[in-house]
Amino acid sequence: MPTLKSIEDLKKLRSRLSTDREFAIPTIVINAGTCGQASGANGLIRVAKYELLEKGLTEKINLRITGCHGFCEKEPSVLVEPNETFYPKLGLEDMARIVSAVAEGEIIEELLFVDPQSGESLEKQSDIPFFKKQERTLLGLNGKVDPIHIYDYIENEGYLALAKALEEGKPEWVVNEVKTSGLRGRGGAGFPTGLKWEMLAGQPNGNGKFLVCNADEGDPGAYMDRSLLEGNPHSIIEGMLIGAIGTGATEGVVYVRNEYPLAIKHLVIALRQARELGLLGEDILGTGFSFDIRLVRGAGAFVCGEETALIKSIEGKVGEPRQRPPYPVQKGIDGKPTAINNVETWANIPVIFRCGSKEFAKIGTEKSTGTKIFSLVGKVKNTGLVEVPMGITINEIVYDIGGGPSGKGKIKAVQTGGPSGGCIPASMFDLTIDFDSLAEVGSIMGSGGMIVMDENTCMVDVAKYFMNFLKDESCGKCFTCRKGTQRMYEILDDITRGEGTLADLDLLQELALAVKDTTMCGLGQTASNPVLSTIRYFRHEYEQHIVDKRCDAAVCKELTGAPCQTTCPLGTEAWRYIALLEQGKYEDSYQVIRETNPFPSVCARVCHHPCEDKCRAGTTGKEAVAIRSLKRFITERVSPETSKTQPVVLADKDTQKVAVVGSGPAGLTAAHYISLAGYKVTIYEAEDKVGGMLVSGIPAYRLPRDVLQKEINSLLNQNITLKLNTALGRDITIDSLFDNKYAAVFLAMGAARSLRLNIEGEESDGVYPSMEYLGAFNLREENLAKGRVGIIGGGNSAVDAARVAIRQDNVESVTIFYRRSRQEMPAYEEEIEGALEEGVEIETLVSPVEVKQKEGRLTGVKFIKNELGERDASGRRKPVPVPGTEFIEPIDTLIVAIGEQPEVESVSGTEIETTKWDTIKVDTETLATNKQGVFAGGDVVSGPNTVVEAIADGKKAALVIDRYLRGVELRELPRVILPQIFVEPVEVPEEELIEAVRAELPTVPVAERRKNFVEVNMSLSEEDAAREARRCLRCDLEFTQQEESEEQISSEEKLA
Amino acid sequence: MITLKINGLDVQVEEGTTLLEAAKFFGFPIPTLCHKDGLSPYGACRLCVVEIGEGPQAKLVSSCTYPAEEGLKVRTASERVVKARKMVIELLLASCPQSKIIQDLASAHNVHQQRFKQEYEDCILCGLCVRMCQEQMMAKAIGFRGRGERRSIGTPFDIKSDECRLCGGCMYICPACQLRCTYNEPEKAICGACANLSPPCLDKEEFKDMMCYMEPCVACEIKDE
Repeated sequence: MPTLKSIEDLKKLRSRLSTDREFAIPTIVINAGTCGQASGANGLIRVAKYELLEKGLTEKINLRITGCHGFCEKEPSVLVEPNETFYPKLGLEDMARIVSAVAEGEIIEELLFVDPQSGESLEKQSDIPFFKKQERTLLGLNGKVDPIHIYDYIENEGYLALAKALEEGKPEWVVNEVKTSGLRGRGGAGFPTGLKWEMLAGQPNGNGKFLVCNADEGDPGAYMDRSLLEGNPHSIIEGMLIGAIGTGATEGVVYVRNEYPLAIKHLVIALRQARELGLLGEDILGTGFSFDIRLVRGAGAFVCGEETALIKSIEGKVGEPRQRPPYPVQKGIDGKPTAINNVETWANIPVIFRCGSKEFAKIGTEKSTGTKIFSLVGKVKNTGLVEVPMGITINEIVYDIGGGPSGKGKIKAVQTGGPSGGCIPASMFDLTIDFDSLAEVGSIMGSGGMIVMDENTCMVDVAKYFMNFLKDESCGKCFTCRKGTQRMYEILDDITRGEGTLADLDLLQELALAVKDTTMCGLGQTASNPVLSTIRYFRHEYEQHIVDKRCDAAVCKELTGAPCQTTCPLGTEAWRYIALLEQGKYEDSYQVIRETNPFPSVCARVCHHPCEDKCRAGTTGKEAVAIRSLKRFITERVSPETSKTQPVVLADKDTQKVAVVGSGPAGLTAAHYISLAGYKVTIYEAEDKVGGMLVSGIPAYRLPRDVLQKEINSLLNQNITLKLNTALGRDITIDSLFDNKYAAVFLAMGAARSLRLNIEGEESDGVYPSMEYLGAFNLREENLAKGRVGIIGGGNSAVDAARVAIRQDNVESVTIFYRRSRQEMPAYEEEIEGALEEGVEIETLVSPVEVKQKEGRLTGVKFIKNELGERDASGRRKPVPVPGTEFIEPIDTLIVAIGEQPEVESVSGTEIETTKWDTIKVDTETLATNKQGVFAGGDVVSGPNTVVEAIADGKKAALVIDRYLRGVELRELPRVILPQIFVEPVEVPEEELIEAVRAELPTVPVAERRKNFVEVNMSLSEEDAAREARRCLRCDLEFTQQEESEEQISSEEKLA
Repeated sequence: MITLKINGLDVQVEEGTTLLEAAKFFGFPIPTLCHKDGLSPYGACRLCVVEIGEGPQAKLVSSCTYPAEEGLKVRTASERVVKARKMVIELLLASCPQSKIIQDLASAHNVHQQRFKQEYEDCILCGLCVRMCQEQMMAKAIGFRGRGERRSIGTPFDIKSDECRLCGGCMYICPACQLRCTYNEPEKAICGACANLSPPCLDKEEFKDMMCYMEPCVACEIKDE
């Protein structure tokens, strides 16, 4: 490498490099940062090199090994220039094919990135949503430069910024450029870089000054500095050189942690090459300007990222912060003035001088200019490094770039700024990201870590995790930081184990504020942020842990036990019946279900299975166990009549009487359990069939009538009297029930009234509320639909109505009209799939504006098209009508299924208090209404909800009413339910574990279910069920096995 | 000379004076634990925090390490200071309740309870002994090891240091007191000075709950009786 003797030499070299390069030759770019190598990039490189040599393509195809491009989720990936063809997640055999394809000038379609939204293959990297919204001024170079080839960097305008600064020659000009650019420190605090440089330049230059690049990146889950050092070390060197011109510094230090071996390697090579080329050291480019950089490796203490601790570490002392003032700019390394900037800050310097400070200042917001790299990790689809202009919203990063939640759980927060940062709840995702806005909401920019959290993340656990990190990483000098973080951890740990109190929560907050106030360095002053911000935005989660002894995210082990059991509103021991199923003990298995659930067969078909949402098999990477399908398997084999419920205590004439209004799942369950306790129960049902919504709302193809009837029959007994066709408010009143010597009343009328559209023409003939439509068919077998059927709505009752309609005679076509897009439809995915299979059409992004009618008879509906606008707090984008897009759709039958509400007129005029949502107001712990002796539960209280929740309410009502009638305290203290019964686990062969996939229920072929109400889902085979059961991770064993071993020990002791 | 305001009073001090020195000189008491005249300021115990600055810029700093600055406004006993100090004392009580110095601090500041899990630690890591050993005894026999939870004071590799002259300076200055008294295990001892005293308090167990303040060594006196 000939030394460059002047600026002219450098420019000549650069123009020679760029003209020499043959642009016609395609280049295969392989991502081989640490992340790429970890996912197999080295194998790709080997194959690529072998293929190129073997096929004699070395002259025809270039190969470039670069640092990380940022899309870590899709590593190892390859980019083919000049077309920017992007191939994600490659295997070794794919690499060989790509080499051949590139040689032929072809593209391999099936290896391209597939957009999960549209399902289309995208060729160019820049078309991929992950890259589209980014502004990759820094990371972009990572793909263009081989970090160990300085010529690559020079070819890409490298060191030209240095040349410019040298030509200009004046330190004040350099400092002013940086000041004008508005660049703020990327290390976290956002101190204006130009100002820092000015201060350093103003220091006396007697003994020399230092510039330091802080590469002690230690935040869990953050790795943007590593990626820059690995991928483009020369940009940091160039930045520091320019800094030296501006500040008069004589020596530079890069402080990098030893855990970054590749970064160190690339940096060492880069420093050597820069020195050889005359870009570093004495008399740089013949201008007389001298500056050298050395590398110091940190041993990995988090606190050494703090500038005063970092200085001590560079000096060879224990990394412990000290009091500022004096600031490092006054007294730094060895007492000499020192300016410390973060890796990303340094990398930005050449950019400023290349494009001009004014241009740079145009990027981002007024007070936070430029771009920022975030490492986007956590529960988001596209994890990786994203570089975005400041001022972008969190929504854009999480949903547009990140692609939204990785699993089924809704995203609830992001944590920014690492352990010193805070959590920002999803309701604030429209926040624009810059230094000041983040600080305002109690978080910090930090170095750019961004961890996305969903419903399966427990915020208390998050705070505990960070506090655990900090108590180990605090230097320990300040008593309040060392002891404070320990004590905060201790309290958080207590809370996650259900041993915390509300007083602890106050103490935690008080302590957190004291730690923030009384510590010396940045680590201590921000150490409380994870605690304070989670308490600020997620206090309810803390209270849930403390008061209800519950962790809804099913993370805190001591409160969760087996997640399937704790998330089941009924507390069903799913793990236990699945284990018994595996052993072939079907009857025992059924009894386990029946112990907690009076409707096993119903729930096996229509339950929304929250157990599967939190199943650890699903939240830890694979798919959840198909718990409902296994329940179905069991209920197919054991009849409800065999269930051994407690014998009914015969009621005598003194027994108190209880009235239950409504015979849906809540009413029937309550009546069943109350009757078992020995009371006489009368069920009042407004319709002429028992079952409530189970009969009137759920179609027979989902829940066969004979199955339902059998189950209902098994719940009735001699203590229960049925009174059909008797409606509250019409035939009976609450007062009349009490007059008839009923001691307690349970109201469970459900929510059976459909909401109205409230648009013109809704009164026309042929327009039906969905509940009326479904009820007419399910209860009276009336076919109300005919011709072209339109359904408004996107929930389960819309899909139910559609699938019922398409089965009816006289129906030509069925179309669901939904205001948002298909992804946002709240109906169960399998139901939507089923409807589509059966020929139902779905028209999305349309809202009805007017019902057209002729002589009172529906003729069509006028719709307006919507587009998706801003995201709401749930992360769903709001539909916004597009003016001028109205169209009229001819429709013969319109079914309105946009939601239901209870009919509370039946209690209006009585003392029973209702809410503004037209539900009955109760004490949620006891289900007691404001009138003594009257309780209410199910949909009439909650609004439209799931079957299993209604059953849970019914069970609770039975317990509470029994307590009420016995005159004891209604409330029960919340307690943690942990698995207790030990069931022998089975040995599962390794291969089976690896290969196992979730068993899906077979369905009746579409042709066989046309125009009939045969049950669509079939049951699993015995073999499939057993295999599925073996996929259970048996979370229970952690709790039951230990006890067993203790027993063993004690019995062994006895023997001894 | 530097002019600053302490609790509303305009005062002048020499450059290089710390806030603690300034406040003390002008008669504003500030409690300290890890500070001793003759030893370099360290700022570990955080008991001496004072409030400086105004409005949203106001913050707490340890007065023993913060240099007096021109025009600085210092409040040595503002509500924020008192609240923070009380929390520091509460944390100290929770960790090291047996120390007489900490008990006295608690009663002087009206801290009557601590709400954390009670610990009985021998050391609050104030670092007085380390500075004593280094700066006054010129021995550098002991120092800090580890960080965070695992930070502790001792000799390198826990081997009895050749530099240690068993002077007892570390014990003398220790506010938690029981730390340095390793009594009958001189090999493990950091200084083992107590073993040099006459009579030596060799039987540690007997004086488990005893506090040793060295001036005079109560344990030894009781042993005499």
